[in-house]
Amino acid sequence: MSENKKFRSKSGKERTVRVIIYIFLTVLCVIWLIPFIYLIFQAFRGESTSMVTYIIPRKWTFDNFIFLFTKTNFGHWYLNTFIIALFNAVLQTVIVLCVAYALSRMRFKGRKFLMNLMLVLGMFPGFLSMIATYFILKLFGLTSENAVPGLILVYAASSGMGYYIAKGFFDTIPKSLDEAARIDGASRARVFFRIIMPMAKPIIIYTIMMAFIAPWGDFMYASLITFGHEEAYNVAVGLYKWLDKEHISNYFTIFCAGGLLVSIPITALFMALQKYYVEGVTGGAVKG
Amino acid sequence: MAEVKLRNVKKQYDNGFVAVHDFNLEIKDKEFIVLVGPSGCGKSTTLRMIAGLEDISGGEISIGENVVNDMEPKDRDIAMVFQNYALYPHMSVYENIAFGLRLRRLPNDEIHKKVCEAAEILGITELLGRKPKQLSGGQRQRVAIGRAIVRVPKVFLMDEPLSNLDAKLRNQMRAEIILLREKIQTTFVYVTHDQTEAMTLGDRIVIMKDGYVMQVGTPQELFNHPANLFVAGFIGTPQMNFFDAKLKKDGGKYTVTVRGAAIEVPDYICEKLDARSQVPEDVILGARPENLLIRPSGSKNTIKAHMKVTEMMGSEMHIHADYGGEKDIILRVQTSDLDEEAQVELMARTDFEFTIRQRTINLFDPEDGRNLAVENAVPVPKKNETAVTEDNGSNKKDKKNRKSKK
Repeated sequence: MSENKKFRSKSGKERTVRVIIYIFLTVLCVIWLIPFIYLIFQAFRGESTSMVTYIIPRKWTFDNFIFLFTKTNFGHWYLNTFIIALFNAVLQTVIVLCVAYALSRMRFKGRKFLMNLMLVLGMFPGFLSMIATYFILKLFGLTSENAVPGLILVYAASSGMGYYIAKGFFDTIPKSLDEAARIDGASRARVFFRIIMPMAKPIIIYTIMMAFIAPWGDFMYASLITFGHEEAYNVAVGLYKWLDKEHISNYFTIFCAGGLLVSIPITALFMALQKYYVEGVTGGAVKG
Repeated sequence: MAEVKLRNVKKQYDNGFVAVHDFNLEIKDKEFIVLVGPSGCGKSTTLRMIAGLEDISGGEISIGENVVNDMEPKDRDIAMVFQNYALYPHMSVYENIAFGLRLRRLPNDEIHKKVCEAAEILGITELLGRKPKQLSGGQRQRVAIGRAIVRVPKVFLMDEPLSNLDAKLRNQMRAEIILLREKIQTTFVYVTHDQTEAMTLGDRIVIMKDGYVMQVGTPQELFNHPANLFVAGFIGTPQMNFFDAKLKKDGGKYTVTVRGAAIEVPDYICEKLDARSQVPEDVILGARPENLLIRPSGSKNTIKAHMKVTEMMGSEMHIHADYGGEKDIILRVQTSDLDEEAQVELMARTDFEFTIRQRTINLFDPEDGRNLAVENAVPVPKKNETAVTEDNGSNKKDKKNRKSKK
């Protein structure tokens, strides 16, 4: 008990300050949540499809969702996005982890230069190269109707540049573990897969999440590379089209229903993986 | 079970820093060699070169019949115990020990048998199911040793394996390493900065400083006949005392004089001195603290000293005293030689006289620090050289150690 007391604020002034802080945070929280709550309610609104100024629907319905999958290409878009995100999650994770491990553990000529180069290149916004990328992909026939593999290529190709966080993590794993395994008879690859990977769970999870989320919500590249072929759109591009002047009055609640569905996989992914995300597992490896 | 030969081995880092200069050593089959020296002397680098974890810049290392310069660590048939244990945290103790065997694709029942045997030897059978983080420091170290012995390697390398343990556990593990060594007859190379470990474990000791080998020899040789001032000061606690002295030839005999007290030079040193083309007049006389003997005042040929501090260690007493020379000296007195009254009296004294036990003296050349009676002694590397090398020293491990100690 006596220990707990230490943490309890005693003076009235302190308490007032704390109350004010919490009120402020609560207000902030509500403001932040309003758009999301609005989106959810609008998705189930049945009396009209246009934009309205009230939040609670007068008539509840699932019609918006049914409409999404029966009368529009949303199913296609959803599948496209899912395939792209899934492939990218796998490819990018493999590439990022390999690059990060190599840069963390191996010493080779030009290593420093390469790291700096990637850092500097990463500072340029990606859309600078958009036109060039578009024409290259077009040469290979990977735009419009073939945009899905094209987009996978675009997203995965530059993924090695995002090595910093994983490298920072690998740097914290003692080198003597690698050395012990190499003396035990393991090759570099085996050290990576048998020793380092099991310890790198948090960073693997992190990389997978990032690699999945980035293409899931990408608009810029997707809108350019899928240009002119509606079936190849991803969800971001497809949904955005419904916010045009000519569509918005007919599609607003349907847009909201689509938005709700788009947020589900990301939320689920995060919920499923976050428990692995909390703590590293290096405890006990070396004297600490 | 193999000889290890190092011929003119050199290690130079990319920034030009030379960690090991021209290292030559032949390690016999089943010999226990200890590499010892202060931080940054290149001992760990040498060990890591034998292991294959560091490239060799020059020279040749062979294990058994094979030159292993360009061989991968996994092909050298060695095992190594690291200072920080380096256990695989996601594997159980059993899997940690079995890992090397699994990579060699041994059948499961054979792996099981070997792991159990190793665990038996080290007394960790009941820990086999645990994860490394559930173990204490001493247990982790045992597992690390288990992982190394289970493969019966040709050479067993240990890189300061005890330095992370507390003092009591360290003594216990040291004794266990001696026992272990009798059980698994193989070649050992052991790195430490602790001279007690070096003295108690090694068949032969290699003392290094700034990348140079100072002396190679049995613990006894190193202790009784240190090749230079560095070795003399490094081995033995408290440190050897050094006196400025004059060497004179009188008839067939040499005598050495410290502050007016003449000491006859032992015959074996005289012979060595006679064999030399030139004998310096000024020398440094080295005598260990236990070889300075307190005499009743008024005795002949004594050196007067002023007592500064006495340290009562229980079985012995260390007396720090000023004899008028450059540095203070330390005397070690066995308390069991004195009754309690005499002890109290000794501690109360301020001035006393002492002599040096004649047969134990060592004479050093003040110019280069070499022992005049040891053939092929290596000179002590010059101070300014070491100052430069320490600045751009890239022995990361030692640097880290130094930092963590701070």
